[in-house]
Amino acid sequence: MSNKTHGASTDILLDIRGLKTYFHLDEGTVRAVDGVDFTVPRGTTIGIVGESGCGKSVTAFSILQLVEKPGRIEEGSIVLNTGGQNRVDIAALDHDSEELRQIRGKDIGMIFQEPMTSLSMMYTVGFQMTEAIRLHMDVEKDEARDRAIEMLQAVGIPRPEQRFDAYPFELSGGMRQRVMIAMALSCDPMLLIADEPTTALDVTTQAQILELMQQLQEEFGMAIMLITHDLGVVAEMCSEVVVMYLGEVVEQADVDTIFHNPQHPYTQALLESIPRLGHSHEGRLNPILGSVPDPYHRPSGCPFHPRCTQIITGRCETVHPDISRLDPRHTVRCLLHEESHG
Amino acid sequence: MADTAIPSAPTAGKEPLLRVEDLRKYFPIRQGFFGRSVTQVKAVDGVTFDVFPGETMAVVGESGCGKTTAGRCLVRAFEPTGGSILYRNLDGDEVALDALDNKSLKPVRRELRMIFQDPFSSLNPRMTVLDIIGDPLRVHSIASGSELEERVADMLLRVGLRPEYMRRYPHAFSGGQRQRIGIAKALILSPRLVVADEAVSALDVSVQAQILNLLQDLQAEFDLTYVFIAHDLSVVEYIANRVSVMYVGKMVETAATDELYHNPKHPYTEALLSAVPRPDPRERSQRIVLEGDVPDPAHPPSGCYFHPRCRYAQDVCATETPELRPIGEGHEVACHLAEDLDLRGITDLVPRD
Ligand SMILES: Nc1ncnc2c1ncn2[C@@H]1O[C@H](COP(=O)(O)OP(=O)(O)OP(=O)(O)O)[C@@H](O)[C@H]1O
Ligand SMILES: Nc1ncnc2c1ncn2[C@@H]1O[C@H](COP(=O)(O)OP(=O)(O)O)[C@@H](O)[C@H]1O
Ligand code: SF4
Ligand code: SF4
Ligand SMILES: [Mg+2]
Ligand SMILES: [Mg+2]
Repeated sequence: MSNKTHGASTDILLDIRGLKTYFHLDEGTVRAVDGVDFTVPRGTTIGIVGESGCGKSVTAFSILQLVEKPGRIEEGSIVLNTGGQNRVDIAALDHDSEELRQIRGKDIGMIFQEPMTSLSMMYTVGFQMTEAIRLHMDVEKDEARDRAIEMLQAVGIPRPEQRFDAYPFELSGGMRQRVMIAMALSCDPMLLIADEPTTALDVTTQAQILELMQQLQEEFGMAIMLITHDLGVVAEMCSEVVVMYLGEVVEQADVDTIFHNPQHPYTQALLESIPRLGHSHEGRLNPILGSVPDPYHRPSGCPFHPRCTQIITGRCETVHPDISRLDPRHTVRCLLHEESHG
Repeated sequence: MADTAIPSAPTAGKEPLLRVEDLRKYFPIRQGFFGRSVTQVKAVDGVTFDVFPGETMAVVGESGCGKTTAGRCLVRAFEPTGGSILYRNLDGDEVALDALDNKSLKPVRRELRMIFQDPFSSLNPRMTVLDIIGDPLRVHSIASGSELEERVADMLLRVGLRPEYMRRYPHAFSGGQRQRIGIAKALILSPRLVVADEAVSALDVSVQAQILNLLQDLQAEFDLTYVFIAHDLSVVEYIANRVSVMYVGKMVETAATDELYHNPKHPYTEALLSAVPRPDPRERSQRIVLEGDVPDPAHPPSGCYFHPRCRYAQDVCATETPELRPIGEGHEVACHLAEDLDLRGITDLVPRD
């Protein structure tokens, strides 16, 4: 595949091509991520959306090579460009190599869907933060401590010197999420992957965390990959959006295009299904037909065809659509668009 | 304001089905050395509202503010610590639910049902769908054997599930399907009032839309009244006729949905509305970010519980607790300054197209 179109640009921090991550189970193979391509430009916020089970988290785990057995990256490249000619294909690295350990936490920070899985309840916040910092930065204990307290301060935790010695269970959900962010950012990463960082939180706490992420991005200039199923959060936070369905990217475009000129029937259906503040008198909600098929029974042809209202009968059931590029930064995977764009 | 009266129409000229007055539920908690000293968490501490037949009354608020606890008191899954819950039975008589013993509660329990928050943990994994949904029929000796099966099959159809699946176990179903099972279980006894606790919160957007439509269809079909507990204000605006806002165990504002969303009178309601992310990049809102966390109900602040986070707070707010009082047609608020504040509703926050 040629890198000329956009991947070669130094503005691109992360370039994912043909990524496939499968889980091999007794019942069969789950193609959780099945040929995903997208790029993350430096310093921007990109949203990954789609219904539960469409492969958002597995994509994120793949980027850090954190997919656990029986899962495996089968194919594809994940090229991280840390500056200049400094390119590394994460997918090709040995999963317990030193290079990979340096990338995790140093170049790429991650906040997980469930904060309890990544913060240990057994150790203090400060201990966990300084360990993480010293893993990636050549600093003494005291310096790491100062850095940790500085980060706790940056994420708006009051009395950071005292919280440094607190255990995670002593903190509220919102505080814990702030600690997670402080930890993920403590080594000044170029990319922050945030998997549903606010889903478990109240709107008011969510507003605090979103505000914080925006502010920290301005301050530190990192790119953010924001995984969420909340289209409101995407609209508020992201400049670009990747829409996933059953392990594939079905549409990618800038945020305004996704919300005002979506071209994939799935994106359109997703947007029509949500209640919108101030629009409640416009009648019934318009859900997407049926439900996401179970991962062992992936539909043939276009995987969305059993739920698609615009299906081209006789074609969509058998032909798997390719990516069509509608304009330089708008791609869609649908036969309706292949017709007109070859 | 004339059009704002439309959503409250179901209440017009009707007697309330449920009257909740000063409802309280305290939980004892152990503190201190060896947990010897016992104090109380005032999870619900003075909740007052009416529910009219045929309406959907929503209760909103942040996590831990007491919504679930209040809901459980309504169906008497919890014994209230204080206050009263008056229920108008089929004969039109008011019964005090809070005073009934278990025996006299039994017939009432058929009429008041609850749908639970989490479709994953609320269904017994070792029971088939038939047993889960049919259980209330058996408990209340209403049906058994093939008649019970028929009723379960019929209910499954109404909630959009295939009767063939009735011998399967919950793990074989998706989140949306499990929520349908929970709904079927709540409706099998033909209740009059259903308390739906975060019934769609754990669901994906598209499945959420299906369940919301289903709840509305069933409401029309069975003439149901809902108490809809939720924290998602976009969902609530869509489904509710009236809304009550809770903060740390207390009701702080109640109004018809349109009125509350367009003309909020409590600073907390204003902040909640402003925090809802809008699914449109051209409507990026000016959110009001509240500082700090929801107070711990075991150690609430003095005066107005909201005062440490309120941008409008005055000296009086730290010392005196505001009572819930009327401020307009069907509109009640607990704020000292309600008349003087010019708060922003959703139209002021969202540019209309
Ligand atoms: N450890 C695992 N073993 C087997 N299958 C898995 C495993 N982890 C994920 N999968 C499957 O991979 C697919 C994608 O899962 P993933 O967690 O990425 O979804 P998601 O888009 O993040 O969903 P959600 O919105 O619910 O977080 C699903 O079908 C899921 O069941
Ligand atoms: N069984 C219990 N024992 C002690 N405290 C409880 C119990 N149940 C709930 N609480 C406390 O009461 C408050 C309200 O809880 P809940 O009604 O579940 O809130 P919500 O449903 O609004 O999120 C919380 O602080 C919670 O921790
Ligand atoms: S390829 Fe066919 S089935 Fe798939 S989204 Fe496009 S029109 Fe619908
Ligand atoms: S009573 Fe005072 S502190 Fe409470 S909401 Fe009103 S203005 Fe704010
Ligand atoms: Mg996920
Ligand atoms: Mg609850």
